[in-house]
This record gives sequence, C-alpha cells and structure tokens, in this order.
Amino acid sequence: MLRTGSVIFRRHCRTNVFTQIGLIMLFWLIGDAAAKATGVNIPGSIIGLFLIVALLATKKLSVRSVRLGARWFLGEMLLFFVPAVLVVLDHPELFGILGLKIFAVILLSTAVVMTATAVFVDLCSRYAERGMKYERF
Amino acid sequence: MNVFSVIFWSALTIGLYYAGKRFGRRFPAWWSSPLMTAPLLLIAIAVTFHVSYKEYISGTRWMITMLAPATVAFAIPIYEQRALIKKHWLLLLGGVVVGSVTAMVSSWFLAELLGLNDQLRLSLLPRSLSTPFALIVSGEIGGTPGLTAVFVIITGLFGATLGEILLKSLPLQSAIAKGSLFGMGAHAVGTAKAHSISSEIGAVSGLIMVLVGAVNVLAAPLIEAFLR
Repeated sequence: MLRTGSVIFRRHCRTNVFTQIGLIMLFWLIGDAAAKATGVNIPGSIIGLFLIVALLATKKLSVRSVRLGARWFLGEMLLFFVPAVLVVLDHPELFGILGLKIFAVILLSTAVVMTATAVFVDLCSRYAERGMKYERF
Repeated sequence: MNVFSVIFWSALTIGLYYAGKRFGRRFPAWWSSPLMTAPLLLIAIAVTFHVSYKEYISGTRWMITMLAPATVAFAIPIYEQRALIKKHWLLLLGGVVVGSVTAMVSSWFLAELLGLNDQLRLSLLPRSLSTPFALIVSGEIGGTPGLTAVFVIITGLFGATLGEILLKSLPLQSAIAKGSLFGMGAHAVGTAKAHSISSEIGAVSGLIMVLVGAVNVLAAPLIEAFLR
C-alpha cells in the first residue's frame, strides 16, 4: 500500500511542474534553516543548491523530479528581478552627474572583467588542449 | 502589508513582464529585454502617481524572495554538465580568481579616477557578485548594502547585454570561456542570458556565479584587511 503510494507520488513528481517548483522551494527552506542554525556566512539558497547536487550525484534524487521545475525557475528568473530595479526610486542622486559616473564605472569595469576572464579561460583551455604532453605538470 | 497592494502591484508587474517578453521577441534589441522595458514602465507609473518605493515593494517583495529558490534551481544544469565541470574545474577556479581580482582593481581605480567617495567605492566593489553574496561582502568591507543592491542590479541589467556584444567581438572558442564571461561579469542576469544561448554555456555561467560568490565571501575579511 505504502509502496504503491510512493510509486504514484514519484510518477506525479516527474510530470507535475508545480510539485517540482514546490520541491525546489523546499530545498531552499532547508538550506535557509541550515544557514541560520549553524550561523555560517553562506546564503541558504547556495546550501540548498549543493544539497540538490549532492542528492543527484548519489542517486538519492532523480533529475527527472526537479528538471521541469528548474527549467521554469531559470526561464522566468528575470521576472523576479523586475521589482528589485525599482529601488532606484529611493536614490534620486543616481539621476545626475554622479549617476553617470557610477554608470561609467560599472560599464567599463564589467567590460574589463568579462574580457579578462573569458580571454584567460579561453587561452588556458587552448593551451591545455594543444599541450597534452604537459598534462602532468 | 495590504492585500490590495500585493494583488495590484504584483499583477501589474507580472503583466508588464510578460508583455515585455512578447515585445522583446517581436523586436529583438538590447533595450527590448523585459528587464529593461517592464521596470521602465513601472518607474514611469510610480513617478506619475507618486508611489514610493516602499509602497511598491511592500506589494512585490515576495517576487524578490523568489530569487533564492531560483538560485537553488541552478543545481540542475550544474549537475547535468558535471562531466564538463569535472574536466575543467581548475580552469574555472582560475577564471574566478582572475575575474574577481580584475573586478575589484578596475572598480577601485575607475572610481578613484572619477572622484567617487569611499562609501560609493566600497559599495561598488562587490557588484559583480549575485545579490545575496554581494550584500554580505558589502557589509563586511564597510560599504552600504542598500547601494550595493542597486549596483548589482545595474551590473546585471547592462552586463548581460554587454556580454552578448563582447561574445560577438571576442574570438572565444570554448564554451567554458563564454560561460565564465557571463557568470563572472553579470551574475544571475547574465546566466539567464547564457542559458538562452546554450545550456552548456548557461551551466558554466551558473557554476561560475556560485563560485565567485563563495570565493568572495570567504575572501572578504582578507579584502577588508587589505583596504585598511
């Protein structure tokens, strides 16, 4: 009886996006509780993330039970950023010369960071592919 | 918290977001992302009807909270690309260190060059991290977390677009280089953009974003000691 129930529930988990969204939120709540209980300086969401990766890697959780939910979260994530942008209403000082300066710093610095990181990773990966003989350095 | 304001502002925000999404698909351009158009219209509405941020956010705070479970969801693409990540973990970690140092040094000197004060400068440093990490680091190194939150948003908003432009102009070959560009430069917003290009690039970007956050939180006391 219990077994049949768990099979039905598992099948339900694999096809229902809402159950999967709920499951992902459950992992976030567990991560949050763990962060609060231990007092570590790591966001609960990151603990939840590593918990899911660990359970998937040890086959305790099937990737089919969370894939649809994850796809929904990643696909609609920009929606959750929209309200955050309105914080500029509280910072009228950003609409002016100072705002332009800050904007310039952010834009230039982001461009430099992106270029440096991507070029570094790309060059290293090319070097690694080419220099297989140096593999054991 | 008032029920009417939650329903009204949430519905308006969600409606404008989906309208913006359709508009962006119809007219693809750097400014037509729903993350540009929806907030712009909301700001226009708020300014016209004299609605304060406090009032607006009291109705929509739950949406910002949803960013946390959305971060948890990055576990799945990371797990699915585990072979790629296992093969290149050292390279990814190297990219995170190079990117983090570049971010701090370039923000610091550009801010100095333009004569921004210390409070702004310290708040600018953690801006390429995703929000929960950035707020922790900002507080720890003596910045203002509220301002940092604004800078994180601006970075994501324009960084995702900037990343797309850079991707076209830089001669990058590997998916890990493309993914680390987005994850390092524009955190979660860049990662969402990366996922729309390919799931491989998206997974690398998601992992880099998480790594950058973790490495910087751990390094914050060090950064603070260095700044003093």
